[in-house]
Amino acid sequence: MLASPVATWSGVVAGASAPGVAQGGLGYLPQLLNYLANGVVFSAIIVLGGIGLSLVYSIADFANFAHGDTMTVGAYAGLLTLGAVGSAGPQVFALPLGFYAALLAGIAVAAVVAVATHYLVYEPLDTDSIGLLITSIGVAFVYRALIQIQFGRGFTEYDIATLRPIPWIEDLTGITVTEHEVAIVLVASVLVTALHVVLQYTTLGRTMRATADNEALAKVSGIRTERVITSMWVIGAGLAGAGGVFLGLYNQLSPRMGFNLLLVIFAAVILGGIGSVYGAMLGGVVIGMVNRLTPVLTDFGIPIEPAYANAIAFVIMVLVLLVRPTGIAGEGVS
Amino acid sequence: MPEDTRSAFEGGEDTSQERIESATNVVLAVAALGLLAGALFGLISPRYLVFLVSLAGMYALLSLGLNVQWGYAGLINFSVAAFFGLGAYVPVLLSASGSPITDALPPIAGLFVAVVVTVLLALAIGIPTLSLREDYLAIASLGLAEVVRLVVRNQENWTGGTGGLGGIPLFFEGVPVLGTLARDIGTVDVGFYTLGFQFWNSLLNAALVGAFVLGSYLVLRRMHRSPWGRVLRTIRSDEDLAEALGKNTYAFRMQAFVLGSVVAMLAGVYYAYSNYYLTPDIFDPIYTFYAWIAVILGGSGSNRGALFGGVVIVTIVEGTRSLGIGASWRLFAVGLLIVLVMRFRPQGVLPPRDELIWPSARGGEADE
Repeated sequence: MLASPVATWSGVVAGASAPGVAQGGLGYLPQLLNYLANGVVFSAIIVLGGIGLSLVYSIADFANFAHGDTMTVGAYAGLLTLGAVGSAGPQVFALPLGFYAALLAGIAVAAVVAVATHYLVYEPLDTDSIGLLITSIGVAFVYRALIQIQFGRGFTEYDIATLRPIPWIEDLTGITVTEHEVAIVLVASVLVTALHVVLQYTTLGRTMRATADNEALAKVSGIRTERVITSMWVIGAGLAGAGGVFLGLYNQLSPRMGFNLLLVIFAAVILGGIGSVYGAMLGGVVIGMVNRLTPVLTDFGIPIEPAYANAIAFVIMVLVLLVRPTGIAGEGVS
Repeated sequence: MPEDTRSAFEGGEDTSQERIESATNVVLAVAALGLLAGALFGLISPRYLVFLVSLAGMYALLSLGLNVQWGYAGLINFSVAAFFGLGAYVPVLLSASGSPITDALPPIAGLFVAVVVTVLLALAIGIPTLSLREDYLAIASLGLAEVVRLVVRNQENWTGGTGGLGGIPLFFEGVPVLGTLARDIGTVDVGFYTLGFQFWNSLLNAALVGAFVLGSYLVLRRMHRSPWGRVLRTIRSDEDLAEALGKNTYAFRMQAFVLGSVVAMLAGVYYAYSNYYLTPDIFDPIYTFYAWIAVILGGSGSNRGALFGGVVIVTIVEGTRSLGIGASWRLFAVGLLIVLVMRFRPQGVLPPRDELIWPSARGGEADE
């Protein structure tokens, strides 16, 4: 199934760029697997960001443009913590324990900042969802500006040695994946599973789903919606903070890192269905995969460069909005 | 004039409006006099003063354009930067010596091509997005503006890519008299300053942006009061009502979107020809958000407010720059301003008021 289009295309398109395609046939498979593996890692980050965006959309009822910068806040909180704790000591998945402390700090700080923003900024506002949307842009700028003032505008990195790919996986399958990337996917899976358990099997989860469904009804049923909204911010921003720390580990840190990813996360959330947490997870995986599989287009001679990976996500987003605004898993939110 | 003759748009409960308006006028007048005095006493170079005024005009054009879309029709358009960039890129691509396409066209002809391209891009962005729910429109238009930015950055064979474009001619090149005016006047000594080619050229550019602002302002004010403007205002406050009255709201919103985009594009034309070099940074979404602050701060739906917002943006951007305050604090100020305005004065400083009432209908009973 895979080999036949490769053969046809490499025959038709002279000078197709990837060596794998030029060799034809199965030679391209390791390359493709690499893109897929990379896509899984990137998806994990998008999913962590998407859940919070979707939660805010369903419970607080607005498109939160500060969500990307909440990820940045988490990433830089991690940077500070890692600097304080240091990267010495025992390692898990080739990551020092200090990194896990940084991860927890990123989650905690992002959550605290988001809850504080809710009470200081959003809560006193007397406005509709559009007013909240516009306000969240201002909040995003304030977050980013404060990070720039503190840490400068350039790129930084976590003080953790970059790794070579895990040798036995590379030998066996040709996939170059580092232990860090495995750790990102594993921890993200644990967080997502934990969220699933919370949503489905705890009172908090049930009250959250009830509030998202119909806030007024939840209120008259005796649910303390104010508390639910606070927990929603804690969970959403906490996951975003974790996503930010992972994004910093996966790439680099810069004050714009979260804002640059925001629209891609929006694309994932819209594709999955606004307001649906599980849709956001699904959309995150699809958009993350599509994003990292874009080089395949060039390899097959389609003149769309990898630089357009985000553009493809945005176009998918607009198409979903047009054709099926409720997304894949949407429950008639419209 | 009694309270109840005011436009319903204002809400009516705001009695401090008159005081705020006169305070705004006083502040603006003091600022203008201060700058002028600074120039007279040799503190501010006349060229910088002219530059500031032109920049205010540029931001005013962006906010006037957005005001048509958001203020009149209630469209949450986050693609202003795409049209700003287009207004800069299209004429430059047709006239600059560094352009990968051609340098054969005079810039003025490029301006007309830019209008056509803007209308086409506005249709391309508007047709899929304008039927969307308002918050989806925000996200979708921002996404499509990013697509435009990515195309300009990556299609080096058409746009010069991230390296940018050099060799931008003067805007009036090829035009009789105006084309060589700045050179012909030569240097003039006035008191503290020697006014040379650079100054006269800036002055010409200021005249250009001034003409754009004045033209747009007059046209938009006229259109806002026209039946067309009334329909848009109806759509903004109650779209179902407009539909029930038999109005094709989609078509009206599309017209507002295209018209506003053309006005925002004019700002880009000034930007391009007042610089020697053009890079894709002009497509940065920050310009979209500058326009938004200007409109919200000035008062959504108010053209005077849009002009005022333009002045405030220049004050923030250039004021922090001349005080040596870095870009990060500027971003902070901008963000804080958005939050504070939304918290304490969401209707803006100069919300639309009697500018919506036809002059002859003012004073006494309405005649229809």
